[in-house]
Amino acid sequence: MTLRHSWHQWEQAVCLWQTRRHFFRDCAIGIGQMALATLLARDGYAVEKTTGRRDPLAPKPPHFPPRAKAVIFLFMAGGPSHLDLFDPKPQLQRLHGQTVPPSFTQGKRFAFIKPDAKLLGSAQTFRKCGQVGMDICDLLPHLQTVADEICWLRGMKTDVFNHGPAKCFVNTGSPQFGRPSMGAWVTYGLGSECDSLPGFVVLQSGPRGPRGGAALWSCGFLPSIYQGVPFLKGANPILDLRSPPGVTDAQQRAFIETVNDLNRLHFQAVGDPEIATRIAAYETAFRMQTAAPEVMDLSRESKRVLDMYGVVPGQPSYAANCLLARRLVERGVRFVQLYHTNWDHHGGPTENLEVHLPQVCREIDRPTAALIRDLKQRGLLDTTLVIWGGEFGRTPMGEVRESTGRDHHIDAYTMWLAGGGVKRGFIYGTTDEIGYNVVENPVHVHDLQATILHLLGLDHTRLTFRFQGRDFRLTDVHGHVVHDILA
Amino acid sequence: MQRYLQVVIVGLMVWVDGWVQGVAAAEVDYLRDVRPILSNACFKCHGPGTQKGKLRLDEREAAVRRGAIVPGQPAESELLRRITASDEAERMPPPESGDRLSPQQVDTLRRWIAAGAPYAPHWAFSPPRRPAVPQTRFATVNPIDNFIRYRLEQEGLTPSPPADKATLLRRVYLDLTGLLPTPAEVDAFLRDESPDAYEKVVDRLLASPHYGERQARHWLDLARYADSNGYTIDGPRSIWPYRDWVIAAFNADMPFDQFTREQLAGDLLPQATQAQKIATGFHRNTPFNEEGGTDPEQFRVERTVDRTNTTGTVWLGLTIACAQCHDHKYDPITQVDYYRLYAFFNSCDEPTLVVGGDPRLERTIAHLQAMNADLQRVGDVEGMKIVQAQIKKVQGKLPTTLVMRERPTPRSTHVLIRGDFLRPGSRVTPGFPAILGPTPADRPLNRLDLAHWLTAPDNPLTARVTVNREWQKFFGRGLVETENDFGYQGSLPTHPELLDWLAVEFRDNGWSFKKLHKLIVLSATYRQASTQRTDLAVRDPRNLLLARQNRLRLEAEIIRDAALCASGMLNPQIGGPGVYPPQPREVFAFTQSNHPWPESKGPDRYRRGMYTFIWRQSQHHLLTTFDAPDAQTTCTRRNRSNTPLQALHLANDPVFVELAQHLGQRILREGPADDTGRLRYAFRLCLVREPTPAELQRLQTYLQRCQQEDPKTAWSAVARVLLNLDEFITRE
Repeated sequence: MTLRHSWHQWEQAVCLWQTRRHFFRDCAIGIGQMALATLLARDGYAVEKTTGRRDPLAPKPPHFPPRAKAVIFLFMAGGPSHLDLFDPKPQLQRLHGQTVPPSFTQGKRFAFIKPDAKLLGSAQTFRKCGQVGMDICDLLPHLQTVADEICWLRGMKTDVFNHGPAKCFVNTGSPQFGRPSMGAWVTYGLGSECDSLPGFVVLQSGPRGPRGGAALWSCGFLPSIYQGVPFLKGANPILDLRSPPGVTDAQQRAFIETVNDLNRLHFQAVGDPEIATRIAAYETAFRMQTAAPEVMDLSRESKRVLDMYGVVPGQPSYAANCLLARRLVERGVRFVQLYHTNWDHHGGPTENLEVHLPQVCREIDRPTAALIRDLKQRGLLDTTLVIWGGEFGRTPMGEVRESTGRDHHIDAYTMWLAGGGVKRGFIYGTTDEIGYNVVENPVHVHDLQATILHLLGLDHTRLTFRFQGRDFRLTDVHGHVVHDILA
Repeated sequence: MQRYLQVVIVGLMVWVDGWVQGVAAAEVDYLRDVRPILSNACFKCHGPGTQKGKLRLDEREAAVRRGAIVPGQPAESELLRRITASDEAERMPPPESGDRLSPQQVDTLRRWIAAGAPYAPHWAFSPPRRPAVPQTRFATVNPIDNFIRYRLEQEGLTPSPPADKATLLRRVYLDLTGLLPTPAEVDAFLRDESPDAYEKVVDRLLASPHYGERQARHWLDLARYADSNGYTIDGPRSIWPYRDWVIAAFNADMPFDQFTREQLAGDLLPQATQAQKIATGFHRNTPFNEEGGTDPEQFRVERTVDRTNTTGTVWLGLTIACAQCHDHKYDPITQVDYYRLYAFFNSCDEPTLVVGGDPRLERTIAHLQAMNADLQRVGDVEGMKIVQAQIKKVQGKLPTTLVMRERPTPRSTHVLIRGDFLRPGSRVTPGFPAILGPTPADRPLNRLDLAHWLTAPDNPLTARVTVNREWQKFFGRGLVETENDFGYQGSLPTHPELLDWLAVEFRDNGWSFKKLHKLIVLSATYRQASTQRTDLAVRDPRNLLLARQNRLRLEAEIIRDAALCASGMLNPQIGGPGVYPPQPREVFAFTQSNHPWPESKGPDRYRRGMYTFIWRQSQHHLLTTFDAPDAQTTCTRRNRSNTPLQALHLANDPVFVELAQHLGQRILREGPADDTGRLRYAFRLCLVREPTPAELQRLQTYLQRCQQEDPKTAWSAVARVLLNLDEFITRE
């Protein structure tokens, strides 16, 4: 163990000692016991000073004062086309049908198209929106009305161009599966304000789950308490949330009390703090059984709110997930990630720019704008960072299939942030005349990750976990905080 | 006051930590005290990988030549001047590295230079030698205890008393076979007062076919075993014959050197048998990308990289993966070393092997083939078509498995610049990392040479790394805590002599796992109580010195197995294709593919946890909830987390609710007629030991409440409580 590492643990030891003494008072074993427990601090057994919570998700102090307390990541799975949504290029329209100049494509690799593919002008119309004058296509009329709330990143860059590895890269900082995801890192670093729901919740909408599956919200080598919990549709969003058939709430309460009383007796006999954690886990689980169905119940929301999002009660949708995200953040959940498919518009009968891009835009437009407005009206936008984007952008060249589409593109694309301490109504980054490369203010995926952690009060170089002999972090050995976009 | 407390406690803790490591203030030890500081703070820029300012500090001669270190004269040493410089621009390490040295660390370096700055070779890179067994006044069963208890004696600590017989029996059953003893086995052991009663149990468990299952599952973690391809499509694959090969190998106590040879190079053995070919499935367990638009070569390279890294981790305990893109920053492993190791795996084809098996199917095929020949003779083309289609269909029912096969002509291997498969650098041939010994230059080497080299008597790492991982099975932590890193950044062994003694014993005793496991579980150290002690809580809070046993939460599969045992429902069948115990359909709601989950009915519903079909990207929720490995890369140690979702799973999952019902019925069927007797019986079925009066009373209160509400379900309700106890899912 390195000294730096141990120091962190001693700090937590002190913290534990100050708050846990009442808990361990009756235990004959005394202070050393607490020291022992604290050495498990890297597994998350910290105790929050003010609340005295003793579960592994108890809130932990950030490295420095944060701008944002919670994150809602609207993940547009498949790779939205920046050229058809946010980055119109007159030159691309003019060069429509021509071969892309080789200076752009030399040494580049693509998933499906050949470098000699023809350029494809966008069929969309755009307008300049808000005081910021952001170009937003007319497929997104509601988003056009909140342009001044948003910090637009037009110079995004990533490293990998297949869906699975690229999604993995945005979420874990590595294209290889098996690393902890951003939500896991954040809850590892900060815990969660909510003691009756998971700290990291994943919601999904669209025709299919995101490619890459559970690896995208995995805890990797972090303890599994930090793993994203995918919420299911319906009243019981967590697996095994419901008591067994025929068991009433009172019976379940009696069951949990019996289990915990027996666990307490055994704790007194053997003194292992893991048993105390287990007791806390059963209490939290029981609270979850009430809290999770409550959060899923949208019927208490006003008709005005439901209409604003476009939620049809009882019907799962991206809109319902946006509203759920707000409800989760309201209750103190740290990290909410929404996956919406499908943005993979290659062209073809089910994935083209003519029919399916407008369709997916309709699905997300109103709810996304509503989420920003709603958070703002409730005073939550200042402390909630909203992130919108996918794993990459799409090529200026068209793909030759039955209908129009574009291939995966990693050298330039658009994402955006709102709330949580970023500049409002701000455009950052410029691409070249056909939207192929970034010519000014690029933001690499690792930079975005560093910036997200920074907004949460975490230094991306200090949020580490020792595994296989080295300190791992979300940004690997890269990443710079993009100070230009901080409010 | 608070500030004062912090100072006192932090001081105390640092002292305790230092104390446990055995640090004496007077003498500075290079490996223990100095190199960790240099390695953490300096080697990244002044080490084997990078030499900023042409300075390297990992080699004494180089550091002295550059004047960084003037032996015996700290004041003259540039190193000391720079780490103490008041000018920010001068001071090392630079602020942005975040590795600032504490005054204590600076003092350690000062005293070390004053003492002549002696370096020492890395302990793990010299072959282990059998050390003398120390004497101790404490009771011992075998040399393990001598090493452990000698150290305790030195530190003024006493070992814990033996665990009570019931606890010990449950412990050794779970560790060796992963199952619970039956009431009859418990009674027999408790009655047996002969001195070798315990040893007889151990021998019986080592001979049990379930021993192979339990040990195989640990190995499958290393092998990243799964029943599907991973990545985004995650289609199914058939490789369970490899899983069964591992079980059989452990049951046969296959020597570890042979075990190594067959898995890394079974196909290259003379007249390789089918079993030896199946064994090469070890390196076919890599994920496989079926996504459209991918470059096959890119993912072939990724699989080869994974094979290289996995071999480095499993056999050498080294983080060689770091050297894929650049020379290792901490360990003396160059990028060329990396690609020489990679070259061993770069010339494999990846075929599928049809595994015979069911004699009825093979007879049917032979019969059809004869028929086909007859039809051919008479020229009945239409008939032949029908019969051939039939042959294909029946052959499709024969099990297959994935294997490795060496190509007739090897691929040429190049260093990949920055690990990029599109940027080949200089050409390399298969070879071993230079720091670990020479590579014979007289002929081209293949995987079989690699396997021989790994298990050669003078290989410094394989035996140590392996016994350390075996130790971890029985104590929850290795003698080297970083079981996957025996390099410079890894932790030092808590008991270096014991580690070497075990390594040599294992190697010289025919690489026998069964002998090693017997040695460990017979030791007094293993048999101690795990109860926490006031004195140890202060002196050795992490129990590094093993003055007691550790309580270990059971692994996901074993939690299921224990519940199957307690409820009497276990189907003990060994091997075969994966099975589908009930799971909510919603597990697949979040993945791209809607995988089939043909829920097993009948006996397959009650198979051991290790036979659950593993969809790599959407594993059964018992596995994900209780920290089973994700099967993406090799896993050398599982987490043991403790979460509310685990509580929900045990309390509410239909599988556990069903098993609680079976356990409830079993209590009524097999137990005595009175409630108290039944409660005791139930308790013993689950926890082996007798309940205390307080526990019994608490259970009685609950039982009475349940009986008042519904006598029919009262015993299932009690059973459900027992299956949810922390102790039930823990090896005490």
